[in-house]
Amino acid sequence: MKKAFSVLLGLTLALGAAQAQQSLTLYSGRSQALVEKLVQEFQKDTGIKVNVRYGRDAEILAALQEEGSRSLADVFWANTSGALEEAVKRNLLVQLPASLTRQPQEFVPSSRRWVPVSVRFRVAAYNPAKVKDSDFPASVMDLPKVAKFKGRIGWTPTYSSFQDFITAMRAVKGEAATKAWLQAMIAAGAKAYPSNPPMLEAMQAGEIDVALTNHYYIQRILAGVGEGEYEGKGESEEEEKKELAAKEAKAGVATHYFAPGDVGGLALVTGAGILATSKNQNNATRFLNYLLSKKAQPYFVNEVREYPVIAGVRVAKGMLPFERALRLSPKIDFAKLTDLEGTLKLLREVGLL
Amino acid sequence: MILRTQGKTIPPYFLVPALLAGAGVLLPLLYLVLRAFEADPQALAELVFRERNLHLLANTLLLALGVMGGATLLALPLAWLTTQSDLRGKRWLALLLILPLAIPGYVGAFALLGASGPNGLIHALTGISWPRPSGYWGALGVLVLFNYPYLFLNLRAALLGLDPSLEEAARSLGYRGPEVFFKVVLPQLRPALYAGWLLVGLHVLGDFGVVSLMRFETFSYAIYLQYTASFDRVYAAWLSLMLLVLTVGLLMGEARLLRGLSFSRVGLGSARARQATPLGLWRWPALGLVALSLGAALIVPSSTILYWVFRWPGDYHRGLEGIAQSFLHSAQASAPAALLASLLALPLAYLGVRFPSAFSRTLERTAYLGYTVPPLAFALALIFFSLRAVPFLYQTLALLVLAYSLHFLAEAIGPIRSALYQASPRLEEAARSLGYSPLGAFVRASLPLIQRGVLSSMALVFLSSVKELPLTFLLAPVGFDTLATRIWGYTAEAMFAEAAPYALLIAFFSALFVGLLLTQEKRA
Repeated sequence: MKKAFSVLLGLTLALGAAQAQQSLTLYSGRSQALVEKLVQEFQKDTGIKVNVRYGRDAEILAALQEEGSRSLADVFWANTSGALEEAVKRNLLVQLPASLTRQPQEFVPSSRRWVPVSVRFRVAAYNPAKVKDSDFPASVMDLPKVAKFKGRIGWTPTYSSFQDFITAMRAVKGEAATKAWLQAMIAAGAKAYPSNPPMLEAMQAGEIDVALTNHYYIQRILAGVGEGEYEGKGESEEEEKKELAAKEAKAGVATHYFAPGDVGGLALVTGAGILATSKNQNNATRFLNYLLSKKAQPYFVNEVREYPVIAGVRVAKGMLPFERALRLSPKIDFAKLTDLEGTLKLLREVGLL
Repeated sequence: MILRTQGKTIPPYFLVPALLAGAGVLLPLLYLVLRAFEADPQALAELVFRERNLHLLANTLLLALGVMGGATLLALPLAWLTTQSDLRGKRWLALLLILPLAIPGYVGAFALLGASGPNGLIHALTGISWPRPSGYWGALGVLVLFNYPYLFLNLRAALLGLDPSLEEAARSLGYRGPEVFFKVVLPQLRPALYAGWLLVGLHVLGDFGVVSLMRFETFSYAIYLQYTASFDRVYAAWLSLMLLVLTVGLLMGEARLLRGLSFSRVGLGSARARQATPLGLWRWPALGLVALSLGAALIVPSSTILYWVFRWPGDYHRGLEGIAQSFLHSAQASAPAALLASLLALPLAYLGVRFPSAFSRTLERTAYLGYTVPPLAFALALIFFSLRAVPFLYQTLALLVLAYSLHFLAEAIGPIRSALYQASPRLEEAARSLGYSPLGAFVRASLPLIQRGVLSSMALVFLSSVKELPLTFLLAPVGFDTLATRIWGYTAEAMFAEAAPYALLIAFFSALFVGLLLTQEKRA
């Protein structure tokens, strides 16, 4: 009896171990809508079963902290570098092997505890029926000075990408200038929205004419208006421009890019890291490698309209070529973008939080 | 002495489950206090004693009062019409009128925004551009539309349980219709009104989805931001505790109002069947009110969702891939939660009504505290305690069901309590005198009378669980997606076409469940 029991126990343990070998638990701050297909591909290609827990960055981060050493998670895939840096600060992530951090050249944080997976840029969206591209100042810093925009600008002070943008502004322009800008924007009647989709929807509905947002929200709306094909299909640049303008007019949304190097064109990344508590480091590494592979990277372009982090991936029509978009962004040391605390303090001081 | 009130002994099989339920609800509070004490005093003082908090407090209170008032103006006539008038098809109308509860608040707000404005559905159909809701009045309108059914369900349960002989007596004394309503019916509805107001009020206190979309700042929104924007559990805990103080105030107010109420029949025999009140020409304004409520809270949002499928074409079928599984998951988690919450609410409500004392009332009220603990904090608390005490339960369906039932326990208490007020304790006493044990007497004599209340409770908890987000995200087994988490995933990426089938299915599914419960109702 006792023997039979121990055999059974041994079998169960062995089975459990075998299963642990072939599975991976992913905590994803990116939504199921975006992640699911890619995860299925990974499962098909590797035979590793991926269990995903979806949530928002903050929820997952809080859960990871409450779980502590008992966490079952292997990989944390976040929507913002802020959440990942917070995880680094709390010692939740392991140092990644060079094979992972070597691949994407840009944006790898100095801690080497997470890798960027996709890139997005800050831009201004505008309603082409109300505002012309030439109405914009060269720098986002002068946006509140445009009389025509008074009371017609939307922003998302509580949204992570916006806060990263403010952190960058503090790094580039200094505390005082950033505070002055925030106050000038408030004085110019900037309207606060909880996130980007409702803000752009409000712009299409005529509530505002200009919105500070991320580039892919606009691209996604434009893609919904017509076919999104790859660039460089032999059309002349002139034709492409015309086609884009027609789409923008139809959608009521167009993109304004600020002058090269302006903080208004900041590049931001999403990324992923491996948790210190993971007992599946091998599978976790394989998963991150997969995210950075030639197979997975085009997915971010096609499905999300974000930019790839590896070379040689074509971007969708209507998107700026990556190198040009990158030139628009100011060159900032990524380590400086981690002072979220200071940004929140500033936003509280001016009454936005 | 705890166990004896007014000379009666509380039987242990009511007391023990009630104490357990109360303890379960109090766990998250304990967690909040634990976290709160990690705060750095100086930074804390800066955050807690801000002028902005006063401003948030005023906003929150004004909104809560406004929504309670608005919901009453809608729910009271609707509840009366669907129970006591001769309106045709009133049972079906009642079913439809509960359904706005099935639409997650933020989806409803999104849909109403999508319906209005120059690009909206209303403009596309009629050429009239309806102003986009926003600010105080926008938040008030949207919250009334999607929360009035809490009050409606409570009032309906109470109205169905009224003994018509009291009204007949009033009429025989010369009172006319409206006078009878205000002097005889309305006072008897007080427990139901208070319970409904409490739920609506607490819901407004806890809402952040709708107010953020309406760009109106309240306390809960600030707490939500604290958790999400700054990844901060400590100051969020302080803000949550401040919100709980507000809740305690509301609860004490309700307790004062409820003191000494007793509405059970004392006469012999069973209540007579009710004669429906003929509406006559009033039928038309009555139908108008029903149409207005259904139009604004049900038809406009659901047609906007359908409209999304066409405005963002091409991809809705992609969203359909996992829909059967999410549907199954939603049912697996929400149906048992509805049952468990009613089971837990029964002893709490029973003690509160049959053994009224400071102790039993406090116990009953703790359930409401669990309801206002922000769901994110509630989920974190359950992670904290389950991993320490019962690690094998962590990330199981059982824990999710338990979380739903504890968090939504307050919704289950109201209808059961209202029903118990109407079920005479004399019947149980009679059953006791015939030799039944106290439990047997309760099961034989009272339970059949409060059946409707129990069903309403289950409906409320079910509808809330189906659309719940933070608890599901954090406590569900890994890989367990529900209809609500899918909807959130799609809308967050502005994939409205993909979200549409899920949003419609949630509404349809909830309608089926509520319909099933209503068919169990005694013919009114």
